[in-house]
Amino acid sequence: MRVILAEDSTLLREGVARLLAEEGHEVAGAFGDAETLVAEAEALHPDVVVVDIRMPPTHTDEGLRAAVEIRERLPGTGVLVLSQHVERSYAARLLAGGAERVGYLLKDRVAQVEEFLDALERIHAGGAALDPEVVRQLVVRSAHADPLARLTPREREVLQVLAEGYTNAAIARRLHLSLSAVEKHLNAVFDKLELRGTEGHSPRILAVLRYLEA
Amino acid sequence: MERDGGGGRFGGRRAAGVVAGCLTAPAGLLYLLVAGVALGGFLLWPRTRAYALDLLGSGARRLVEVERRRRTRFFGDRFPEAYEGRGGGGAVRYLAARSWAGLVCAVVLALLGFGLVLAVLLVGGVVRGAFGPAELLAQLVLGGVLLFLGLQGLFALTALDARLAREHFGPSERELLRRRIDELSVSRAAVVRAVDAERRRIERDLHDGVQQRLVALAMLIGRARRGGARDPERAAELLGQAHREAREVLAELREVAWRAYPSALDSLGLEEALGGVAQRCALPLRIAYEVAGPLPRPVETAAYFVVSEAVTNAAKHADATAVSVRVTGAPGGPLTVRIEDDGRGGADPAGGGLTGLRGRVAALDGVLRIDSPLGGPTTIVAELPCV
Repeated sequence: MRVILAEDSTLLREGVARLLAEEGHEVAGAFGDAETLVAEAEALHPDVVVVDIRMPPTHTDEGLRAAVEIRERLPGTGVLVLSQHVERSYAARLLAGGAERVGYLLKDRVAQVEEFLDALERIHAGGAALDPEVVRQLVVRSAHADPLARLTPREREVLQVLAEGYTNAAIARRLHLSLSAVEKHLNAVFDKLELRGTEGHSPRILAVLRYLEA
Repeated sequence: MERDGGGGRFGGRRAAGVVAGCLTAPAGLLYLLVAGVALGGFLLWPRTRAYALDLLGSGARRLVEVERRRRTRFFGDRFPEAYEGRGGGGAVRYLAARSWAGLVCAVVLALLGFGLVLAVLLVGGVVRGAFGPAELLAQLVLGGVLLFLGLQGLFALTALDARLAREHFGPSERELLRRRIDELSVSRAAVVRAVDAERRRIERDLHDGVQQRLVALAMLIGRARRGGARDPERAAELLGQAHREAREVLAELREVAWRAYPSALDSLGLEEALGGVAQRCALPLRIAYEVAGPLPRPVETAAYFVVSEAVTNAAKHADATAVSVRVTGAPGGPLTVRIEDDGRGGADPAGGGLTGLRGRVAALDGVLRIDSPLGGPTTIVAELPCV
């Protein structure tokens, strides 16, 4: 796939670019700030944009704003945002535009090379990739919600992996379950949480996230 | 306001001052009496009241000025220049109180003089053998008590004179306290700000430096593991890079920790810690350390940060080619830290770093002076009391 990235640390920018090149992806551009990113995305038409949230000049949320803007202007482009800490409000702002072609990962996740590449693939394929840590915090924070307390540990595991953006098949692989078992668990989860068991995984993720954030 | 201490050396002068105070007292009372009677009607009538008060006050102020000179001349009082007391009314009030005190003081002095005459007569009587032992004892006891009362009164009145002057010519105790409280509130807020700024800086250091490097390092290892099976040679090369990177992360971490707090300050003291600054400084840095004896820990810490911040500024913003630091302190006196660079000057005392330093120094009741004309050179002097 064709990727552009924005990251202010030269060291990391080079590292990610090398990694992607080694994996056979095309790195069309790598930038040190968010300002140029939007314009470059429009010019270069990448499949996925990888962007660090915290960048010069103010080191707050420049990258996030650029990501939201790219999602609005170039709907077909995937966006993967790297964050210093888990910030629920950032994740919410990013997902406000839907759960297709979007990812929110902790920056340190880049070091887990396989997971990072996997997340990119999922985003490229039209899916979502949410950091397990983000999902874990959402689940922990909403644990007081009664219906969530009614889930069995297994069902909770399945829900968590689902919220990270994985398909049923991938959930089955990750949790070493059969596909039918996953479907069974998910149906039970959707029933207990009174969520529409919509087909296609993006709406499902959104439903889950809305539920968790409530 | 300061006053010369010590009664001994200035005893004669003070005594003269007390006598002068007794002599000026009747003048003050006379003025108040005459002017008061002359202006009395106008003072009572609302329409002319303000004008009459003004008139009374302006005359009083002249006499008050005499008192001020007397206090300065004989007692060495130093009052703030052009300290506006409490207007005309204040002058009249002061003059009245002070003249009363002076008059009473004159009476007490006269009593003491009278006692002295009696004592002489008594001695003469004893020599002539005119007293029996019982009478002599009675006289001695009575005279001793009266002498004690007279002296006590004299001390109290001189103290009263000093206090009245202090309150009229200088800030009152209350005002001094209020100023001190203001000063403390300001410095406390500055300290909190400085601490927050430092924490932010440490966070930035960790995030922009150490963390990015660690992520990059982990990525190198991840790449090596991932490609290892396909291309062992490439994997070995990546591992080599990772190893180098790990060493650099360690060096960076050491630097960040040192910037946060140089542990040498605690273990080895200020001189060694300043040596560390010199080692880390990109510019040639001359340090003269002339301090006798140990320093309080907070003073050492503040002095260290003043030097390290000033040196960093000189290297970063001033384009200096050399910096010299001089730390001097005598036992019991303040510690003086002086940093000079030959850079282009124009340091902004209101800038973040310097404000933080000022807060740090103010928290110890010290003073920070910054002299940085455009074109340089910059001199920063911190004086830190060692209490």
